[in-house]
Amino acid sequence: MRNQLEFEVYGNYALFTDPVTKLGGEKFSYHVPSYQALKGIVESIYWKPSIIWHIDEVRIINAIQTESKGVRPIEYNGGNTLAYYTYLRNPRYQVRCHFEFNPYRQDLNHDHNEGKHFNIAKRALKAGGRRDIFLGARECQGYVEPCVFGEGKGFYDEVPEVDFGIMVHGISYPDETGRKERETRLWRVKMEYGVIRFIRPEECALIRKTGEGSAKPFGPVNMQSVDNLYEELLPRGGGSE
Amino acid sequence: MTWLATLKKTYENHADVIGQFEKKRNDREYALLPISHTTQSAHIEVNLDGQGNFISAKVVDKNEASTIIPCTEASASRTSAPVPHPLFDKLVYLAGDFTRYCGDVKENPHEKYLEQLLSWCESPASHPKVKSVYTYLCKGTLMADLIREKVLWVDEQGKLLDKWTTVMEEKYGEKPEIFKVIASDQSAAFVRFAVHVPGEAESRLWRDQSVQQSFIQYYDRELTDTDLCYVSGDHLPYADKHASRIRNSADKSKLISANDTSGFTFRGRFRSSREAASVSYEVSQKAHNALKWLIERQGFTIDGKVFLVWGTEKLAVPDPFSDTFSLYQDEEALGGDLANKEFANQIRLAIGGYRYDGDYKSKVIIMVLDAATPGRMAIVYYRDLNQELFLNRLENWHITCSWLHRYKKDGENRIRSFIGAPATRDIAFAAYGPRANDKVVKGMIERMLPPIIDGAKIPLDIVRSAITRASNPVGMDEWEWEKTLSITCALVKKTYEKEGFTVGLDTGNTDRSYLFGRMLAIADVLERRALGREEKRATNAVRYMNAFAQRPGRTWTIIQSNLQPYQARMGTEATYYNQLLDEVGAQLKAEHFTDRPLSGLYLLGFYSQRHELYKSKKEKEEETGQDSTNH
Repeated sequence: MRNQLEFEVYGNYALFTDPVTKLGGEKFSYHVPSYQALKGIVESIYWKPSIIWHIDEVRIINAIQTESKGVRPIEYNGGNTLAYYTYLRNPRYQVRCHFEFNPYRQDLNHDHNEGKHFNIAKRALKAGGRRDIFLGARECQGYVEPCVFGEGKGFYDEVPEVDFGIMVHGISYPDETGRKERETRLWRVKMEYGVIRFIRPEECALIRKTGEGSAKPFGPVNMQSVDNLYEELLPRGGGSE
Repeated sequence: MTWLATLKKTYENHADVIGQFEKKRNDREYALLPISHTTQSAHIEVNLDGQGNFISAKVVDKNEASTIIPCTEASASRTSAPVPHPLFDKLVYLAGDFTRYCGDVKENPHEKYLEQLLSWCESPASHPKVKSVYTYLCKGTLMADLIREKVLWVDEQGKLLDKWTTVMEEKYGEKPEIFKVIASDQSAAFVRFAVHVPGEAESRLWRDQSVQQSFIQYYDRELTDTDLCYVSGDHLPYADKHASRIRNSADKSKLISANDTSGFTFRGRFRSSREAASVSYEVSQKAHNALKWLIERQGFTIDGKVFLVWGTEKLAVPDPFSDTFSLYQDEEALGGDLANKEFANQIRLAIGGYRYDGDYKSKVIIMVLDAATPGRMAIVYYRDLNQELFLNRLENWHITCSWLHRYKKDGENRIRSFIGAPATRDIAFAAYGPRANDKVVKGMIERMLPPIIDGAKIPLDIVRSAITRASNPVGMDEWEWEKTLSITCALVKKTYEKEGFTVGLDTGNTDRSYLFGRMLAIADVLERRALGREEKRATNAVRYMNAFAQRPGRTWTIIQSNLQPYQARMGTEATYYNQLLDEVGAQLKAEHFTDRPLSGLYLLGFYSQRHELYKSKKEKEEETGQDSTNH
């Protein structure tokens, strides 16, 4: 299937917040990006409701280093407060991922065109993504470019195994599970020779229910076909009047 | 592994020392606490027999006050509302006759306490000695007993005394013990129990491991609300509240706190903190207890910022913040002027002591904690490194950021010179002065971690600042300047690491700054010799040092002209110095003789040249002797 994308993503800082430190507000980053964070990055490159991106593996290129910054988060009831956020410094990753058609989006069956999505995704990646790329948190601007997965030298190339313990894999949303629940998935992360091979969301055994919701319906009300838009913008094929 | 998992593992690796008190250098006791336990300072100790009868009571000496007490999640973080500790607590919770001596109290703390204790005594995990405490406290005579034993003191109306006034001192004599150990009034006294049963050695309940185990088992049954733990991945009892008092006993900030319902720290996607994440009681207890223990044991604190380094398999690791001298501490061999190769070997030996044939997975964790606000604490730096890698990096730091220092004193208060890296704190003082604000120092120490641990460059502003201070000898005492100078030289050497400078003079180096530095040293030594031993005043070279670094060309002419009287006074004795000056001056190219400011390298030239000139004849002969045998 022509659905695989390989890219490099990097930035000055990253903040993949460890949920345990999120409760109080002194955010501290996970050492490696979670599945969900990478999925968000890929979705910023290109996404449509008819497809689901799956992250296959990530390769950690630079040494894992942390750096803290004093920040002034805004209190939503007015005023502000002081906090130390601890970011990853100078992160650089290679990601391999692929997309599959969303089985819970039968209403978008007509959009299941593999070649189209693959080529759009490739073009979007070459252009640096359709939307802003950020590494875990909005203040950590990231950049993507195409690469060959596994090429170049990485800091952990010679390290047989690093055990990161239990980490968040991601959050399952109703539009991708068909269930009217939101679930947080956990898994045990191991890095081998600098590469983390992710398991698929449905393979995660550690699941915790964290709320409910429902999938957003798509139909003629909130979607417009390209042909109609074309007709609207450029009546009679766009020829000069 | 994540930080919580690593701490939990450290706790489990050291399960054999749980509950054992160790003493710090300042005689303060600390221990790795069992789960569901915390420490408190007790003021009063009550002795009971196995049937729950009162035997005696005494005031506890301050040095022995530290007590391990069982606590519940709620009692560990209680504030104003009365939440009793399970066994030992303050008088207001324990004494049934408290109101008779101290007036009314709200919300019946004593009743709540007895209720909780009864539940423990009736559970399958109960302990006979705890039962006798319960039997005794049910009588409600604690205050009366303590007053009878002259542990507590009452006034004429039969009320508890607030304080021991001077009037009373005259009347009844010296202040009773209780007023010495307690900061506020007597009613706040904390009580612990010992139950004496014939034939049993350990009567002190707070040291009795079977009592601790009994409580852990009892409390484990009480926790029924389980959830998926984000750290261990198991379904375990859920921790609602997490430990505070991590840095010290007065510290209210928590690493995990969850009462923020107004800010959007987790709200948005999640409605409650529990939806956002959950940590099990066991992991939270173990990890926090391990962290507190490690901080007490081997952490150091500056202005609230805690620096902590430990090994997961073997706790003790060489301290990356200390200087090379401290690294040698236990070793006999501590040479002053060592050749570079020898010195590198010495460091290898000293660090080699920490290498052992252990698990190849052994890790070194570097953790820095600080709080921006009083309530919450943040991990501001966390790094786990393979132990081998850590030791190699440290070795490299000590070898590359080294210079000859003369500011350390040994056990007999003699000044010892050593070659090596300066301590991080000394670098801060060299760069920012001895009166540097703690906030500046703690920030700088954190910034020095990447150079030490990752072999990164020392931040330039620190090096520049040190150079500026070292160039201004007039501003400080001589010893302080010498210390600043040698530390700055170490920093400069590290900055120009590739060029491989050493303390030994490099006569072949034609760097402009280095040569100018050498000339300054010759001028300094010449004048010093001419002044003689009695004359302590600073030489012209030293007085003009600052200006010299900024405008070497112009300042050198001033120094040279000021030197003439001394050259004249010394007569033929000065010939050697004059020749040397000419020799060095000749190496300077004409276009280099300008007012362009000097780089930090001039300090190396200065130091090395001065060191060379002050070497005694004997030392020099020895060196040449060695050289000839080597060839």
